[in-house]
Amino acid sequence: MYGRMLKVDLSRGDVAFSMLPRDYVEGFIGGSSLASRLLWDALNPQHNPLHPDNPLIFITGPMTGTGGPTTGRFTICGRSPQTGLWGESNIGGFVGPELRQAGIDVLWIIGRAPEPAYLYIHDENVTLRSARHVWGQADTYATQALLREEVGEPRARVACIGLAGENRVPMAGILSDHGRLAARTGMGALMGAKNLKAIVVRGTGKIPLARGDEYAKLRVASNKSLLEQNMTAVLRATGTSGAAEYLQFLGDMPQKYWTQATFEGAASISGSTMAETILTGTKACQGCVIACGREVEIVQGPYATKGKTKGPEYETICSFGSQLLVDDLAAITALGEVCDRLGLDSISAGNTLALAYLLFERGVITEKETEGWTLRWGDPSPCFVLLEKMARREGFGALLAQGTRALAAHFGMPELAVEVNGLEVPMHDPRAFSGQTLSYLTSPRGACHNQSDFFQVEMGGTLEEIGISLPERFRDEGKAGLVARHQHWRTVCNSLVTCYFAVVSPMTICELLNAALGLDWDVETMLRAGERGWNMKRLINLRLGLRPEYEKLPRLLLQPLPEGGQQGYVPDVEKLLSEYYVVSGWDRTTGWPTPEKLRSLGLDFVLRADVL
Amino acid sequence: MSIPFPSDAWIKAMMEDLNQSQAYEEAAKNWEGDFYFVIEPGGSLDHTVILYMDLWHGKCREAYEVKDPEARQPAFWLSGPVQTWKKVMTRQLDPIQAMMTGQLRLRGNMAMVMKNVRAAKELVESCTRIPTIFPV
Repeated sequence: MYGRMLKVDLSRGDVAFSMLPRDYVEGFIGGSSLASRLLWDALNPQHNPLHPDNPLIFITGPMTGTGGPTTGRFTICGRSPQTGLWGESNIGGFVGPELRQAGIDVLWIIGRAPEPAYLYIHDENVTLRSARHVWGQADTYATQALLREEVGEPRARVACIGLAGENRVPMAGILSDHGRLAARTGMGALMGAKNLKAIVVRGTGKIPLARGDEYAKLRVASNKSLLEQNMTAVLRATGTSGAAEYLQFLGDMPQKYWTQATFEGAASISGSTMAETILTGTKACQGCVIACGREVEIVQGPYATKGKTKGPEYETICSFGSQLLVDDLAAITALGEVCDRLGLDSISAGNTLALAYLLFERGVITEKETEGWTLRWGDPSPCFVLLEKMARREGFGALLAQGTRALAAHFGMPELAVEVNGLEVPMHDPRAFSGQTLSYLTSPRGACHNQSDFFQVEMGGTLEEIGISLPERFRDEGKAGLVARHQHWRTVCNSLVTCYFAVVSPMTICELLNAALGLDWDVETMLRAGERGWNMKRLINLRLGLRPEYEKLPRLLLQPLPEGGQQGYVPDVEKLLSEYYVVSGWDRTTGWPTPEKLRSLGLDFVLRADVL
Repeated sequence: MSIPFPSDAWIKAMMEDLNQSQAYEEAAKNWEGDFYFVIEPGGSLDHTVILYMDLWHGKCREAYEVKDPEARQPAFWLSGPVQTWKKVMTRQLDPIQAMMTGQLRLRGNMAMVMKNVRAAKELVESCTRIPTIFPV
C-alpha cells in the first residue's frame, strides 16, 4: 500500500525503510501535501535553508506510475533556498514511476555527503557512490547518460543537478529524462548543498493498488475520455506554447519584462510555428496520452542542434522570447537547452535577464556592470554567456544568480522586481486575470501558476461540478471563493501528483483515488483533503516568517498597460485579499488560519505544538 | 430583415458580410481551409444542420447548407450544440475558448487554428453583424 518511505542520511551513510502513518496518507493523500505534513514534524525554522538537517523530499502520489491519466509525475519538496519558504516543484518523465516500482513512495534525504555522491537505488538495494568524476564536469544531459551507463542499467532513470545546483544557485532545478525539469523554488540548490549529484533508480516491482480491477477500468475510461478532449489535441499538436497567440491576444503573455502589451514576433515563436517548422516529434511522460513534450531539430544556422533535442515550452518561449523581444525560435530553443544543461529554472533565469535588459535600457546599468555585454532588446546573444556565469556564480552572473529581487535591490530599484515572496512571476500576466493575481499572492511557494492555474478557469476551463463557474476575468469582487475552491482542487492534483493539462473531472479523479487507496470518499471529502494540504503549507510558511503584508504584487505589475488584451486593467489587491481571507478562515492581521478553521480541517494539532 | 440560424440563407449572408470586411481580410490573409460548421439540435432545432464555408486568404469563396456530409471533405469540422453556437455568435463565449474547453469540437489542423486567433475573432464579429433569429 502507498506510504512506504526510504530515509537516507548522507552524512552517516544510513538508509532505512519505514511505513508512514495511515492517517498521514488519508489526511493528505500524497505528493506535496503529504510532504508538507512530514516537513512540519521535522522543520527547524532556525536553520538556514541549506542546512544539512533540512530534508530534500522526493515524493510520489498514490496513483504515480499506474497509467492513470497523467500520473507519471512526482514532486520534489523542501525548504526553498530561493524564497526561504515552502518549496516544491513537480516534474514529469519516468523517475517517479521508477521509484514506485522500486517500492519507494517517499524518498527523504538529509545530511551532507562527505564528497560529491550519487544515490543508486535498485529495488531494495540502496548504495551511495562517488560522483567526483561528474561533479563540475558533466552537464545534466551528459550526467544522465554517464550514470546510466556506469550502473549498467540502460533502463535506469536519473534525476540530477547541473552546475547551478552544484554551486547552490537559488534558482537551480533538478532535471531528469533528458529535459524534464523540476525547475522552481531551487530544489537543485538544496540537492547541491547535500553534495548529491544525482539519484539513479531502477525498479522492477509492481505498484500496489487497493482495488486493482476497479482502477484498471477507470484508468482506461478516463484516458479514453482525455484523448477526446480538444485541449489534449491542442497540446499534442502544438505543445504548451500552442496557445501563445491566444494568450497574447488576451494580454496574458508578458513582453519586454512586463512593460509592453503586444509583440509582433509572438507568432514567430509560438507552438503553432514550431509545429510547422522545427518540430520532429512529440514526447510524453510515463503513461500520458497527451504528449505535450516537443522534440525539435534545427538543421542550419547559428543555433543548429546536434540532432533532435527538446523543444521549448510556453514558459521558455516567453522567458527568452517575448520578454526579451526575441522572435527567433531557434535561439530560444538553444537558450532553453542551456538552462537544462546547467540545471537552471528558465522562468526565474529569463525574468532576471529581462530585468537586466530593462535596467540597461534605462541606463541604470552599463557595459561596466555587464562586463562588456550590451543588453539590447531582441538580441539573445548575451544570454548564453550570462546563463553560464549565473550557474558558475561568476562576475555579473553571481548577482544575476540571486534573482530579480536581489538584482533590483542591488541597483536601488526594488519596484522593478517582478516576484512574489521571492519567486519570479511565471509567464501569465496577473493584469489579464484577477483570479490569477490572487493565486500568485496566496500561493505557498511564491508567484506560481502550479498551485492554481486560475487563469485557465477565467479562460473558460470551468469546473461546474464543484461549483467553479465562469467568472469575468477583470472583476475583483466575488472572485475569492472561486479561487480558494480551485486552489483546494489543484492541491488534490498536486497530492496525486497529476498534470494540470489533463482535463479530467474531479468525480473521476475521486473514483480513481478511491480505487488506488481503498477509500470510499466523495468529492467533497477529497477537496477537504486539498484544503488541508493548502493550509498545511501555509502553516509551514508562517513558522518560517511569512506575514500577510508580504502578499503583494510588485509595483511594476500595478501599472496598467495602455493597449492590448489587458484593457488597462489593474487588479485591486486589497479587495481580492480581504475577501480571500474571509472565505479561507484566515486572520487578516496575523495571517494564521483561525482555530476554528484548523479544527475543522483536523489540523488542531498545530495549536498544541510547542513550535509556535 | 432577420435571418433564421442555421440556414442556407444565413451562411450566404455571412459570406457576403465577410467579403466586405477589410478587418477579416487582413486578419485571415494567411488562412487556407474550408469548414463544416456542424450545428447540433437544441431547443426548437430538432435536427443537425451542416453549413459549409470555403475560406481562403481573407475571402469566402463559397458558402451553403450541406444536406449530405459526404458531399465535401473539408479541412475542418467544428461541431457543437446550437446553444453553444449562439453564445459564440453573440460574444458571450470566446470561439477559441469554446474550442479549447471542448464546448465546440474541432477536427482538423489545430496548429493552423491556434495561429489564427484574430481571424476567428473577425468571424465572430461578422456573425454579430447579421440580424439573426436563433432557435428558441
